[in-house]
Amino acid sequence: MMVVADQCPWYVAGPLLALLVVGLRWTGNLHLGALGSFVATERWMARPRALPSWRVFFFAGTIMGGLLYALVTGTLHFTFRNGTFDQMGFVAGRGLAARASLLLAAGAFIGFGARMAGGCTSGHGVCGVAQRSPGSVASTATFVLVAVVVAHLLPVALKVGAP
Amino acid sequence: MKAASVGDTISSDVAGRATKTRIAGLLFGIGFGFWLCWTRFTSYDVILGGLRFERLYLWLMFGMAVVTAAIGLQVLRAAGARTWIDETRVDWTTTPVRTAHLVGSAMFGVGWAVAGTCPGPAAAQIGQGHLAGLFTAAGIFAGLTFQGWVSQRRVAAPAVSPGACAQAQ
Repeated sequence: MMVVADQCPWYVAGPLLALLVVGLRWTGNLHLGALGSFVATERWMARPRALPSWRVFFFAGTIMGGLLYALVTGTLHFTFRNGTFDQMGFVAGRGLAARASLLLAAGAFIGFGARMAGGCTSGHGVCGVAQRSPGSVASTATFVLVAVVVAHLLPVALKVGAP
Repeated sequence: MKAASVGDTISSDVAGRATKTRIAGLLFGIGFGFWLCWTRFTSYDVILGGLRFERLYLWLMFGMAVVTAAIGLQVLRAAGARTWIDETRVDWTTTPVRTAHLVGSAMFGVGWAVAGTCPGPAAAQIGQGHLAGLFTAAGIFAGLTFQGWVSQRRVAAPAVSPGACAQAQ
């Protein structure tokens, strides 16, 4: 499976994602959104019913899709390494607990903010913008702008006090 | 007797649709998770490289995805296509801009840039064996649960309902 071993070219990756968005809509007027699948999963775990909604299956599928990719490409190995995230001055040399804490805090911002906004990069950014929903366009403009600014500030801000 | 059998047919129809929808959810989820790994969006450095404009991959893919999805959706709706599961018209609703969109998305943007991942990739990372995704996903669950709790208490400032950008149901 050498075809999928290298990074998918952007001009293939874009239409493939669009295929998922359009396919879900055509299947049953379903809206592709990763955050929605997290929310549905949390609700189901808090109050487990006989069978969870399709979004919970989507959540499980996303994890399984990651596993499938790792198996197909023979790249499955369990690791806590996370690229240059581990080298940020804020967490470098402070062990797993520091890195885990920063990821937990960032994750909490993601969960709180995206639920408040009603979607994330997939639900608002791709699906909602493609449907020209004003709320999605405003959300996407906001999180892209903020993320770009923060990403540029990170090396400055979090490397303060670096060894 | 007749009424009962009609009721049975309807409820089995509903159950059949729900099952089909769940199967579709699982299959599209698998496709999404696979896609996230293939595009390397499960990698911290690919996301940060995109946000810092060191690599244009993220932006080119995003533009391509939005344009092709918009065309595909418009064509389906204009052609009066019906859904595979329940034969309803392909359609969607849109939401006006609310303060919650802006405040929530600003918070989300901070988390996205710091973790170098968003909800979809965090889930796919776990399957791929990138266990950092476990911490991010745990944080996401904690954050969204807290948001649900807060918005229930503060009806004065309700959030946009989840997945609300365009549920046509």
